[in-house]
Amino acid sequence: MNLKKIIMRYGTIIALVLIFAACSIGVQGFFDSNNLINILTQIALLMIIAQGFTMVHIVGEMDLSFANLASLSAVIVAGLLIKGMNPFLAILICLLGGALFGLINGILVTRLGIPSLITTLAMGIIATGLIYMYTKGVSFYSGMPKSFLYLGRGRIGPVPVLVLIMLAVLAVCHIFINKTVAGSHLQATGGNPSAARLAGINTRFYKVLGFILCSLAGAFTGILLTSRLGAANPEGAGGFLMESFAIVLLGQTVSSMGRPSPFGTFIGALIIGIVNNGLTLLGAEYFMQDIVKGLIIILAVVISSVQTKRMKA
Amino acid sequence: MSISLIAEGITKEFPGVRALDHVDFDLHPGEIHALVGENGAGKSTLVKILAGVFPPSSGSIRIDGKEVSFSSPRAAAPYIGVVHQERELVPFYTGTENLFLGQEIEKAGFLGKKEMRAKALEFMKRYGLTLDMESPVSTLSSGMQEMLTILKILFRSPGIVIFDEPTAPLSVKESEILFSLIRDLKASGKSILYISHHLPEVLSLADRITVLRNGKKIATVNAGEVNEAELIKLMIAKDLERQYPKTALEPGPEILSVRPRATSGAVAAGMGFTVRAKEIVGFAGLVGSGRSELAKLVFEGESAASHQVELGGSAFVSRHPRDSIAQGMVMIPEDRRGEGLITAFDVGENLSLPRLRRLSSLGFRDEKRIAARCGKIVKDLSIKVFSTNQAVSTLSGGNQQKVSLGKWIDANAKVWIFDEPTQGIDVETKSEIYLIMEKLASAGAGIWFISSDLRELESIADRIYVMNGGRIVKEFSRPFPTEQLLEAMLGEGKSEKETA
Repeated sequence: MNLKKIIMRYGTIIALVLIFAACSIGVQGFFDSNNLINILTQIALLMIIAQGFTMVHIVGEMDLSFANLASLSAVIVAGLLIKGMNPFLAILICLLGGALFGLINGILVTRLGIPSLITTLAMGIIATGLIYMYTKGVSFYSGMPKSFLYLGRGRIGPVPVLVLIMLAVLAVCHIFINKTVAGSHLQATGGNPSAARLAGINTRFYKVLGFILCSLAGAFTGILLTSRLGAANPEGAGGFLMESFAIVLLGQTVSSMGRPSPFGTFIGALIIGIVNNGLTLLGAEYFMQDIVKGLIIILAVVISSVQTKRMKA
Repeated sequence: MSISLIAEGITKEFPGVRALDHVDFDLHPGEIHALVGENGAGKSTLVKILAGVFPPSSGSIRIDGKEVSFSSPRAAAPYIGVVHQERELVPFYTGTENLFLGQEIEKAGFLGKKEMRAKALEFMKRYGLTLDMESPVSTLSSGMQEMLTILKILFRSPGIVIFDEPTAPLSVKESEILFSLIRDLKASGKSILYISHHLPEVLSLADRITVLRNGKKIATVNAGEVNEAELIKLMIAKDLERQYPKTALEPGPEILSVRPRATSGAVAAGMGFTVRAKEIVGFAGLVGSGRSELAKLVFEGESAASHQVELGGSAFVSRHPRDSIAQGMVMIPEDRRGEGLITAFDVGENLSLPRLRRLSSLGFRDEKRIAARCGKIVKDLSIKVFSTNQAVSTLSGGNQQKVSLGKWIDANAKVWIFDEPTQGIDVETKSEIYLIMEKLASAGAGIWFISSDLRELESIADRIYVMNGGRIVKEFSRPFPTEQLLEAMLGEGKSEKETA
């Protein structure tokens, strides 16, 4: 394997290592256990919601609604808790609601044949409407039980519970996609729906499953967001849409064939997290983060398209 | 206005294939010259070279004595216009807008709509046509769209017009209008190159006919001096050695029967067909005759309304490929990369795809058994790969086909549908594919074998059904009468009232 091939194959991971090394050497206060844990905490929510987006990407569809759904789930769980509902019940209601939301997305796309871009754009707008219907535009910020706030703020030893949840979600998604039959069928559905169908796979089912998993991750992230902040505001999770896009695209370059994967998405989240953290420590102004992120996305897409071209050649 | 064309020694090589082999062809000013031949004879390659789609590997083209080499269809357009089967029209533009597309009349940067409309009308009248030039093209009938396409090509006033299977989408009446238009064009001095599978229309229209076979020019004859049978004889080779010796098997019991339901409509549904165990049943027909469509209809579970299907003695009920697979039917689709494989997957992933449920426990993949099975298939079918982790997109066409069919090899299917399994595959792998098919048959399966290569069907099949116009029109048994086979394929698609 020559250098060019190694860079094509492992370029994204090499980039992660280089960025990490550069920050460790050049940025004061970066290579410090507290700061490193801090980075993982900062990317935890993004990583979890982006795992869902990865699933929808794997089945070859698009979802623009999951961030709005996360905001909806965040305010509903807050509202229910403030009314005094049992935290387990409140979480369960939000997760089931999320799954139902994904089911509707999936059915609209697979049964009625509406393109997923349009379906999920509309469903996202509906979710935002529901948020304002439920909150009348005000934020919820007090009266949530401690046991619930533990999810987002608690620690086990030095490690935040949120980071453990993130690692658990990553492990479950990775095993699901790579080790189970359903995961393989999910990938085949996105890889080539007609070939998968002719091989006897129920591609409609797996597309719907992709949407359900994406919405489930969205609803779950909304719950965690409320728990972390101890508050919920109507568009609290809106920023996750573009950020998820970025890290899933970045993550696609981790696989040699440009396929989205849970592990790739994790690598993407780490890169964005480290760059953000490094820039903050360097005292760069906040807008620099956005500019650098944009440049990274462009680079990732260029690499992806080169990979795809090589594959077709 | 009248121009002549002389092509000499045209040869075209594609990787592994010589599509045209020193073909000479000439077109006199003001004549209709027809080009005929079987599928793959090289007609469309010749047309593409003349029209500048790609250059010949060797040979020269002269127009009015001057040597030309067109770098693109656009460069050829002032001399040669091609009427393709696909219509190059913008569906929501009007006839006038389509006519002037790319060469609009401008007035200080604005469209001169009035002038264009007037010019379009005048131009249309010159050819004695009455078309609705003011409605969006998509609202016109297919015949009208075809006429408009031709008009658009004539508008560039080329001296030579090539018609590539122009009557395929037309009704009989529309065809008649087209023929009289072509005769008018000839009368006005244009030179016409006419390509068609329909020999009667070729004979009535053309002045001269050139026959191609296997990339070689066989003869150029005057249309008045030949009849249909003589043409067919020229188109097919009689002296071809049989490259693939057929192993004769004693066919077993009937394993598949497909019968069209008597429909209430006036259209005759054609005859049904059967496949017996240990039998290879060929399906011949031209492109678009409905062979793949029939196979897909049955395999993809959409045949319930139109056909009565029995598989292995019981009624075949399917609403999805997985139902068909469960009942013992598998299909290797014609479009390898589009439907047979997942090109972003590696060889192992492709091979194991339909069998994963059986190669798992509690929903988790059993990697050991998956790897063992893949290794066995790769070895049994001698698929040339470095490892099963190799991307399937890097394999040759033949090896891709082996992966496409290899995934079913242990599915114990009763019926295998092979749709053009040897298309785009080197000769050596072709015979390997035939051997696989014969092996499957000798193990008791029935093979439903669709092919456009008549010689391959004649060598491998036990019986051949000919499809034409969406219906099965005739059944043939060994020894196959090649001429009658061709006649049935090329004929007007009348259903023969006979039962198998």
